[in-house]
Amino acid sequence: MEKVLITGIAGGQGRLLARRLLESWEVCGADWVPWEGHPRGVTTYQVDLRKKKFEDVVRTEMPTAVVHLGMIRHFRGDPRQRHEVNVRGTKQLLDHCAHHGVQKLVVVSSGYVYGAFPENPFYMDEDSPLSASRTYPEIRDLVEVDTLASAFIWKYPHIRTCVLRPVNVLGYFVHSMIGSYLRMDRIPTLMGFDPMMQFIHEEDVCEAIALALQQGLQGVFNVAGPGQVPLHTAIRETGGKTLPLPEIALRPLVDRMFRLGLFPYPAGALDYLKYPVTLSGRRFVEATNFRPLFSLEEIFHSVRR
Amino acid sequence: MSGSKRGVVSMLGDLAGALTPLALRDLSAEIADRLRKVPTRVNEFGFDDWGMEIASVRRAVLPAALLYRYYFRAQTFGIERLPPGRLLLIANHAGQLPFDATMLGVATLLEAEPPRIARGMGEFWIPQLPFVNWLATRSGQLVGTPENCVNLLEAGECVMVFPEGVRGMNKTFDQRYRLQRFGTGFMRLALETRTPIVPVGIVGSEEQQPGLANLKGLGRALGMPAFPITATFPWLGPLGLLPLPVRYRIHFGEPLRFEGDAGDEDAVIEEKVEQVRQAIGELLERGRAERPAVFL
Repeated sequence: MEKVLITGIAGGQGRLLARRLLESWEVCGADWVPWEGHPRGVTTYQVDLRKKKFEDVVRTEMPTAVVHLGMIRHFRGDPRQRHEVNVRGTKQLLDHCAHHGVQKLVVVSSGYVYGAFPENPFYMDEDSPLSASRTYPEIRDLVEVDTLASAFIWKYPHIRTCVLRPVNVLGYFVHSMIGSYLRMDRIPTLMGFDPMMQFIHEEDVCEAIALALQQGLQGVFNVAGPGQVPLHTAIRETGGKTLPLPEIALRPLVDRMFRLGLFPYPAGALDYLKYPVTLSGRRFVEATNFRPLFSLEEIFHSVRR
Repeated sequence: MSGSKRGVVSMLGDLAGALTPLALRDLSAEIADRLRKVPTRVNEFGFDDWGMEIASVRRAVLPAALLYRYYFRAQTFGIERLPPGRLLLIANHAGQLPFDATMLGVATLLEAEPPRIARGMGEFWIPQLPFVNWLATRSGQLVGTPENCVNLLEAGECVMVFPEGVRGMNKTFDQRYRLQRFGTGFMRLALETRTPIVPVGIVGSEEQQPGLANLKGLGRALGMPAFPITATFPWLGPLGLLPLPVRYRIHFGEPLRFEGDAGDEDAVIEEKVEQVRQAIGELLERGRAERPAVFL
């Protein structure tokens, strides 16, 4: 049995993936926080990806495959630390992969890296520029992670490296930005805007990762789910109540409240509630025959309020 | 003489007909019936891949259809020529405000078999305006990027393009029915996706709001694509851009199919564009020669 190392294994997506891969892989994982009650057969290490201790894990475990989920995607902590953990952590991980005989690598980036702009075409492909930091500097670390991993594909062509950019992920376990947004008591939206949004179920993200590993996929791929609906439809279907506010009021309010720690997202995130950021998943489907199992309705049902 | 008098009487009759709720109900039912036959695919929540919603189209089309039937009293010629499947409608553009696009859209919905929703390729500022973007998206309009156009055509949709752009729409009255320079983007997309082009000559729109001048500099300073001066604009404010009750006559030409490389040099592409431009010019000429009067 081949061995896979999962970073960020204690997170929602990491736990699901570990369970999903357990049938056909020997699974070990690293995370900053412990995973209490992890299944038997999974070895976990509580380490910081930036530290020497993590390199020791890679060297002694000698995994043939690595899945990189270990990134901070919320804004609760110090932004400088978030940037350090994400960018330096990824850089270290890539170096260890290059030096310790890893054959397959899957880096889970996100569809947010393209950015939300009025000139966005529908269903952007993987060659679209990664412009998110133009209006949303708080996630520039995620753009840098994506860029580092994409460059790694060319630097080490003998390692099967795959960068996945899934659309908005929802589910019971995963802690996604869109998930916690949809679970707010009153959900602020921009009055007069209702962009199309794509969604994918957390289990289908696991499936996509598993396919990429199985096939030793190489390249950058968007991963789209079963479809798309306007934002307000998604809010209604997940049982939420909207609070539409004019942009001229909402933007400064969000900006102020975010700085005071009273609101979980910076103002740049509002553009994703204004303009459509939709991805074409065609390339991934053609490479893997991926078909999402969960319908939009099932995805919306999985959002626990 | 008596002919034109009858025309005036029937025009007044049509206008009165618009005011009766019964006609409104009939028209609304007709639109609903036509929308059921539209080949566009929608998902389980009622939206197509680009955010169009049939229920919204229905609401948006009703006032436009009233204008079409009772104000512009539009007629179509040769609409049976529209081929099924992917399709580019290329038309002349005039009249200060894009009523011509709206009327062409109503025509393909009410008169074509099967009914089609003509997808417009809008300006980049539309997505930035609250409510306007929402209305545009729900009724099937998209930002005019090449990617969007290719996407729509590959899905078998009917896309309308006005290659003159504001050059045509905001030209002055002395230039009426003189086709301005055509953009070439549509031809490259047609070649890339092997889409038939139907030339459309819209007669009537060019007289709906005679432009006396276009203050481009002022328009630019105000962030508008143009700043037309007409007999009523800007003197009467935004109301001054409302169109005169001209009669719309929409002429559809034979579908044109082009072969070639989408990446060809401009000169090669322009030659093909010129054929489309000429076809539209001929439709306009014939349409103008055949009509009894501008308003009747």
